[in-house]
Amino acid sequence: MRIFAIELRKGKRTGVILLMPAVGILGAAYAFAFFLVRKDALLNLPLAPMDVLLTQLYGMIMVLNMFGIIAAACIIYNMEFKGSAVKKMYMLPVNVPAMYFCKFLILTITLFIAIVFQNLAIIRIGLADLPQGAFEYEMLLDFAGYSFITSMPVLSFMVFISSRSPNMWVSLGIGVAGFLSGMALTVPGNTFLCIHPFVVMLKPAAAMSAQPDLIVVIFSLVETAVFLFFGLCAARYPRWE
Amino acid sequence: MDYIITTERLTKKYKSFAAVNNVSLNIRKGSIYGFLGPNGAGKSTTMKMLLGLTTPTKGSFTIDGKQFPNDRISILKEVGSFIESPSFYANLTGEENLDIIRRILGLPGSCVADALELVGLSEFGRRLAKKYSLGMKQRLGLAGALLGRPPILILDEPTNGLDPSGIHEIRNLIKSLPGLYDCTVLISSHMLSEIELMADDIGILNHGRLLFEGSLDELRQNALQSGFTADNLEDMFLSMVDKDNVKRKQRAKL
Repeated sequence: MRIFAIELRKGKRTGVILLMPAVGILGAAYAFAFFLVRKDALLNLPLAPMDVLLTQLYGMIMVLNMFGIIAAACIIYNMEFKGSAVKKMYMLPVNVPAMYFCKFLILTITLFIAIVFQNLAIIRIGLADLPQGAFEYEMLLDFAGYSFITSMPVLSFMVFISSRSPNMWVSLGIGVAGFLSGMALTVPGNTFLCIHPFVVMLKPAAAMSAQPDLIVVIFSLVETAVFLFFGLCAARYPRWE
Repeated sequence: MDYIITTERLTKKYKSFAAVNNVSLNIRKGSIYGFLGPNGAGKSTTMKMLLGLTTPTKGSFTIDGKQFPNDRISILKEVGSFIESPSFYANLTGEENLDIIRRILGLPGSCVADALELVGLSEFGRRLAKKYSLGMKQRLGLAGALLGRPPILILDEPTNGLDPSGIHEIRNLIKSLPGLYDCTVLISSHMLSEIELMADDIGILNHGRLLFEGSLDELRQNALQSGFTADNLEDMFLSMVDKDNVKRKQRAKL
């Protein structure tokens, strides 16, 4: 808890704490605007109303979240490398892997807040614009949980990459390359490609149904744990060693 | 003798290059130990090993009877350090930077003002660290090392980038520390003239090898025996290093 509070203090003036909630608000605003403009076209699609509400809006929201995660992960470690502050941390009686875990936790919580904002907007749209009785809370909660879990591999991967790259532009470049390659590799049916963390995050956006895919969930959990484990192990040793 | 830091044949090799070669140091408790050597002699590498920033290839060391990596946390609680260049969070003020270190060390809030006062940064405490001049960053780094008045201080060229009056001020501060709260200081420099004014004992390092270890009086005796005047230790130091360099070249030819 002490290290968590210290990590929050370190983020002062970097915008890292506010970034993901801001992305959440932007995503919510996008959902309102998109449904306002394209409501009739969307509701005439040959899909169940809840599938339309959840999958058709999620594409853009997911892209916003992805870039938010990439930027936040870059910022949270850039403040350590700028001014070589991380070097001082290795000279202090602090558990550096615990510091890494707290950074991971901060980004996870802020991502969760972003997803809450976005889903509050979706609830509002669902209650106001879907046909009477078509809105299902349970389905929305399932999809919100699914989108959160499938976003975690990218978050875990990006925190690991940022922690090992003193140059923020390298981490950012890897993030963008991950997004572009993920876009190219997200094809229906090929489960093996789910080893790519960005493909996992793109999966719910590419699906036509809002039903969570169990295999994608398993890939997400495993990848999140694997990147977190690598990050914690690597954090034990200074980057220059 | 009561030694607080001892190293036993400490060696650090990068492939075939030995940055530190069989260095055995003995640092007395409550003393100021000057670690001398030209640039690239291995002073910073030795200090980094003592702080656990880099692992020795061979040899061992103890700090207050404790060893890395098992006692890492307890060693670092006792050691205030400043290595190479100042490290700080550019997005935080000087005061906030020290507050982060204070919280990690679990010290009371008043320590920050005390450390800023010690290094003469009190009036700039609320300025962003990225807006500090080089000398101010250097002072901030020193304040970070002095925070909580640790019993051991490891300072790597702490007066780099300071103006002459700043050098004088920091030198006097370091000199006063063992008397002020009974700490031990290991300080490195490539200038004997500077170390001479502060240190009780010195160690001279060249190309990773320890050429001399002893008190300043012993160095003076050594100087007299080698035909140098006792008030010109700088020449003695330079000739010691030159002789070692010649020997190294001869060994390399063979």
